[in-house]
Amino acid sequence: MTDKSITDFQQQALVLAGQQTSPDWLAGLREQGAELWSSAAWPSRKTEHWKYTPLAPLQKVGFGRWADVEADWQDQQEWLDIDATRLVFVNGVFHPEHSSELPAEVVRFGAAEGAARAVIEKHLGKVVDAEKHLFAALSNAWTSDGVLLHVPANQRLEKPLYVIHVSTATAEPATANQRLLLVLENGAQAEVIEHFVSGASEQNGFVNGLTEVVVGENAELHHYRLNLEEENILHVGGVHVDLQRSARLRAFTIAQGSRLKRIDYQVNHRGEGAELDLQGLYLPRNKQLIDYHTEIRHMVPHCTSKEVFHGIVGDSAKAVFNGRIYIHPHAQKTLAELSNKNLLTSNKAEVDTKPELEIYADDVKCAHGATVSQLNLTALYYLQSRGIPRAEAEVMLNFGFINELLQQVAQPAVRAYLGPRLAQLFSPNSELLRHLSYE
Amino acid sequence: MAEEQVENLIRKEYAAGFHTLIDSDTLPPGLNEDVVRFISAKKQEPEWMLEWRLQAFRAWQEMTEPSWAHVSYPPVDFQAISYYSAPKSMEDRPKSLDEVDPELLRTYEKLGIPLHEQEVLAGVAMDVVFDSVSVVTTFREKLSEAGVIFCSISEAVQKYPELIKKYLGSVVPQKDNYYAALNSAVFSDGSFVFIPKGVRCPMELSTYFRINEQNTGQFERTLIVAEEGSHVSYLEGCTAPMRDENQMHAAVVELVALDNAEIKYSTVQNWYPGDENGKGGIFNFVTKRGVAHTNAKISWTQVETGSAITWKYPSCILKGDNSVGEFYSVALTNNFQQADTGTKMIHLGKNTRSTIISKGISAGKSSNAYRGLVRMNPGAEGARNYTQCDSLLIGDRCAAHTFPYIESKNPSAVIEHEATTSKVSDDQLFLCQQRGLDAEKAVSMIVNGFCREVFKELPMEFAVEAGKLLEVSLEGAVG
Repeated sequence: MTDKSITDFQQQALVLAGQQTSPDWLAGLREQGAELWSSAAWPSRKTEHWKYTPLAPLQKVGFGRWADVEADWQDQQEWLDIDATRLVFVNGVFHPEHSSELPAEVVRFGAAEGAARAVIEKHLGKVVDAEKHLFAALSNAWTSDGVLLHVPANQRLEKPLYVIHVSTATAEPATANQRLLLVLENGAQAEVIEHFVSGASEQNGFVNGLTEVVVGENAELHHYRLNLEEENILHVGGVHVDLQRSARLRAFTIAQGSRLKRIDYQVNHRGEGAELDLQGLYLPRNKQLIDYHTEIRHMVPHCTSKEVFHGIVGDSAKAVFNGRIYIHPHAQKTLAELSNKNLLTSNKAEVDTKPELEIYADDVKCAHGATVSQLNLTALYYLQSRGIPRAEAEVMLNFGFINELLQQVAQPAVRAYLGPRLAQLFSPNSELLRHLSYE
Repeated sequence: MAEEQVENLIRKEYAAGFHTLIDSDTLPPGLNEDVVRFISAKKQEPEWMLEWRLQAFRAWQEMTEPSWAHVSYPPVDFQAISYYSAPKSMEDRPKSLDEVDPELLRTYEKLGIPLHEQEVLAGVAMDVVFDSVSVVTTFREKLSEAGVIFCSISEAVQKYPELIKKYLGSVVPQKDNYYAALNSAVFSDGSFVFIPKGVRCPMELSTYFRINEQNTGQFERTLIVAEEGSHVSYLEGCTAPMRDENQMHAAVVELVALDNAEIKYSTVQNWYPGDENGKGGIFNFVTKRGVAHTNAKISWTQVETGSAITWKYPSCILKGDNSVGEFYSVALTNNFQQADTGTKMIHLGKNTRSTIISKGISAGKSSNAYRGLVRMNPGAEGARNYTQCDSLLIGDRCAAHTFPYIESKNPSAVIEHEATTSKVSDDQLFLCQQRGLDAEKAVSMIVNGFCREVFKELPMEFAVEAGKLLEVSLEGAVG
């Protein structure tokens, strides 16, 4: 690739950006995004952040148009059983019929006026560093619709916000953009669930989903990002968070499906005493590729972060994990931990993991650990010796490996939804699942 | 925190800093094909060797300097370096130590390596590289009785061309990387070791390197071949005189361990790290790699305390089934030193095993990074890796990093990686002080304890030296 020439996909994406209509006050952000997007070098194998994740599928398919809403997607969907404010987007387009009435705290960008618009202008595109995240630049360029959640100071969002993004198969490969901005003022509390699903039939879309989060002083957010699309979809996304003083973020994410799925978590501890608890699961199978990149930046003293990711990789799938902890100078008394465990269940499966520490302060305690292996043979033997058939023992151990994190999920509806679905991944035979408990 | 003590530590002058005045037969700075030809001619090398160098040189011209390491330094002007220098008194080769330039001998004495004594007492054969040319090689006879070849690489090119042709570049090819290519083109000298089938080398082999000539790059080339079932332990130690200008150093070490052989390679590196303002110091860009065939074992142990810039990743390619790779490292940086060092363990064969123990200590304004790769290829059935990287921070202006790459393509392979970073804990210090130790002694004890797992892998002679080195560098460094 020559330096200055931009790739076909970059070109197409710019054309798509031109087709989007949006409020005038978003024009600045969009232009900046387009500028960055078109001037950026397209990632190759030598680009550190994309070393193990080829973007060839994006180039090959050619996503020349925006997706439109088509029929018969409703029947295939099963959603969380939860009393929440539900927003449904189909191929990036808001679907009012299936969505709840919006409470005062939730505003769509197009309808934002006055105070809400001021909040968007203050924060949108400011949390994410689009110079470092190529697809965030693209998201900026593509911003038209989006959702703002703004919880005023010292208030609690009554019902969880449940944002569903449905992708459906379309006649030609098509593109969808998803943008979310969550702003919790000082002392506010909220729970947000992002749920990405797709119809069971052949998928061919590309989804770019970006979430920016600001958690104010002493505020607390529970955030879930469930990426449960089917086989062939391409998904690039990110969750970018600023934590103010004594803010707390408890986050859970799961990824399954997709020929290419890349999700970035960037959490900036900007105020003293901020806390992060981030847990993740990834379960690529068949020929899927799932890539999680997390970067936790400790910029001030006295913050803590705890991060645990478990992955089970089967068939010819590939998992990539990159967990970076960055401690700025003066961020003394930081406690940061990262653990990444991987199970390989097939001869053709592959895991590439890189837990990184970059530390510029001395009075800190940081640790990371990573393991890659197959199921523990001793544990298998133990179960077999207790009369449990091998196939069932394998299912139990596989499920146990992810259930370790699933059990800690705070929202019961998420637990109840994921438990049986994930168990089925390990065996379609319900006989083998009879001893599993999902609570 | 005892700021003053840290300052004291930082101000500690480089103990081995002095400069020997010997006339040198030095090439003017610059690098082109003629320089390569000159070096080759000077060493009376055969045509094939020259051709090999030229291939490397041409490849090097096409390559660009790598920039991925976590170090920063002013660009190196490769045309400002002189690529050959030899002590003048080399014109007629000394037959024994008595004929050696007395100035030279005094240099070694200052460094605490009296050759005479070592010959007799330590039982260590010395292949001394004094600026590019081997000055004297001792214990040759005793080794040759066992069939062991231990000589300078230029001598090996003359005497054992078949072995050199077969193995040189077999582990680190000419085009492997920028610095390896440069080294292949202009390597001045180095050591060649050959252990025949089933022989256990009767003594530990050792080379002391010194960089002595101003503005002279040092490009050693070391090749160790251990035939089936043989065993060798090789020691390498470095120290260089004090000076202001940066010196480039790009060495290549190749190890070949054939079936059932074992090679243990130990390094103590104490090159001039630059002064307290970050001025001067050696740039150390080293490529070290070994290939282990069936049931063979390669073990790297290193204590890195010197150099302004360290770029060094001693690696093992575990090619044969059941082969074993080990990497034990202590890397200490102070003042403005920067180190980016670690290892690569490439598992190809079945039931291959590797262990990585890395201890990084950073003080002052230095930066210390561990960068490692563990790769399980599809054929690495039942392979095993254990990695532990610990970093210790002393002072709040230093930095410690860990960049481990872990790649697995075989489900039956097991990889475990752990890393921790912390400072010398106040509790530990308090405990020691409360038992009557002064703070300095306590820190020294704690740091020594921190490095113990690595030190115990070092041969006796080196273990003592290594402990001393750390003590010199860290006295008074109370976190």
